Amino acid sequence: MARIIVVTSGKGGVGKTTSSAAIGLGLALKGHKVVLIDFDIGLRNLDLIMGCERRVVYDFVNVINGEATLNQALIKDKRVSSLSILPASQTRDKDALNKENVGKVLEELGKTYDYIICDSPAGIEAGAMMALYYADEAIVTTNPEVSSVRDSDRILGMLASRSRRAELDLEPIKEHLLLTRYSPKRVEEGEMLSVEDVEDILSIPLLGVIPESQAVLKASNAGEPVILDTESDAGKAYQDVVDRLLGESVDFRFLLAEKKGIFSRMFGG
Amino acid sequence: MTDASIEFKGSSFTLSVLHLKTSKLAELRKELAKKVAQAPDFFYLVPVVICIEKLDCSIDYQGIKALIEEFNFTFVGFTGSIDKEQRTLIRELGFSFVNTARTNTSKKQVITERPIEQETSEVISNTQVKLYSDKIHRGQIRSGQQIYAKDQNLVIIGSVSAGAEVIADGNIHVYGALRGRAIAGAKGHHRAQIYCQNLEAELVSINGNYWLSESMEQHWGSPAYIHFTDSELTLSKLI
Repeated sequence: MARIIVVTSGKGGVGKTTSSAAIGLGLALKGHKVVLIDFDIGLRNLDLIMGCERRVVYDFVNVINGEATLNQALIKDKRVSSLSILPASQTRDKDALNKENVGKVLEELGKTYDYIICDSPAGIEAGAMMALYYADEAIVTTNPEVSSVRDSDRILGMLASRSRRAELDLEPIKEHLLLTRYSPKRVEEGEMLSVEDVEDILSIPLLGVIPESQAVLKASNAGEPVILDTESDAGKAYQDVVDRLLGESVDFRFLLAEKKGIFSRMFGG
Repeated sequence: MTDASIEFKGSSFTLSVLHLKTSKLAELRKELAKKVAQAPDFFYLVPVVICIEKLDCSIDYQGIKALIEEFNFTFVGFTGSIDKEQRTLIRELGFSFVNTARTNTSKKQVITERPIEQETSEVISNTQVKLYSDKIHRGQIRSGQQIYAKDQNLVIIGSVSAGAEVIADGNIHVYGALRGRAIAGAKGHHRAQIYCQNLEAELVSINGNYWLSESMEQHWGSPAYIHFTDSELTLSKLI
């Protein structure tokens, strides 16, 4: 049975789409069949990050309304054949989705794919609720900053009360904490919440810590998920996340500020 | 003397207290008959202490005892916050005077606790303080969530996040960090208390008296409880 994973946060701009793209591609590179669904109807972004924006013909809303079949709307990734993208509609709004039809689409996808990654819109309104409703697992993307942590806390409450699993009194959604844009240097300087601070407040298991990195912006603009940049810290950190999702135990990296060596001190590196 | 045949030990018992509002035996007989008729088995041979606090000086102690035994109660003694002479008189008549924890406390505390006595002082009350059952919640209360324990105490095994709200008509216990709002004694109960293992609350309130976080700096981030004493909120260390 397919694992339905929602990537959510409450707050906008914390890295949901970047993380969805990186994790989805990472799982596919490991040989799993993965489909990425963009739930951000009206603010279509995932296709840009995945670099397939020019190949969008039909979208999620077309499928929901029966105007296109799933196969017509799904875009196969050019890099990894086991990865597909179901793009959002840019011209509609979030009310275009309804629980019943979303459920049918997910059920259909579940027959073919191992992983269904739902990229949630920001906020706690209908769109975000729709993205998390059918989830088995949730990756709660959080920046080490008080407002993001509070919004993540709110979303965790929603996961526990508004999801299908909560409504049917099934085993609760498995929650993962993904800390993004982490800067150990700024944590040391007391400007940023530490991993421990965030873990203490949210008290859910830590899935990964993605360091703040220039590579992320570069990757987004190029339409190449950052996990493909195997030289960058962010790329390596996402690779660790994928391994942990697959049940491997991997040590956490990039949690400490780099000590400046004698040369970089001399040359101001 | 290793095997003494007797041994004295202190123990606490729950006793029914009968609060008298009049010393007129005829009136008391009528009221008691009515009450006992409701549940004759329940009251049969029940040990009972008579509270005479609200009565004037002219009390027929023997008469009251006889009346009580007439209704098949087991008479234990008298109680109430009364003056020393009256207490001596009771002892001279051969009756025992039973001290409650309350009558032993300082005068100041007796004053603050009077309202609760008024709440519970029906003609017969089996318990002296309000007893609430517990509503138990396992797991964290997240930001934006609200829990209300109506006519109950609220026990939370987990933390209360900032932006969450826990409300109880009784006490609130948080076995974790209290970072949100806690409102105890919501329907008016000034003896309600709030306990937590880590105090970082946005707001605490007991019986409508509230504090914001700035008033709780003293035990911030440590185990503490909040109670209402001497007509004001008080913060105390828990351990």
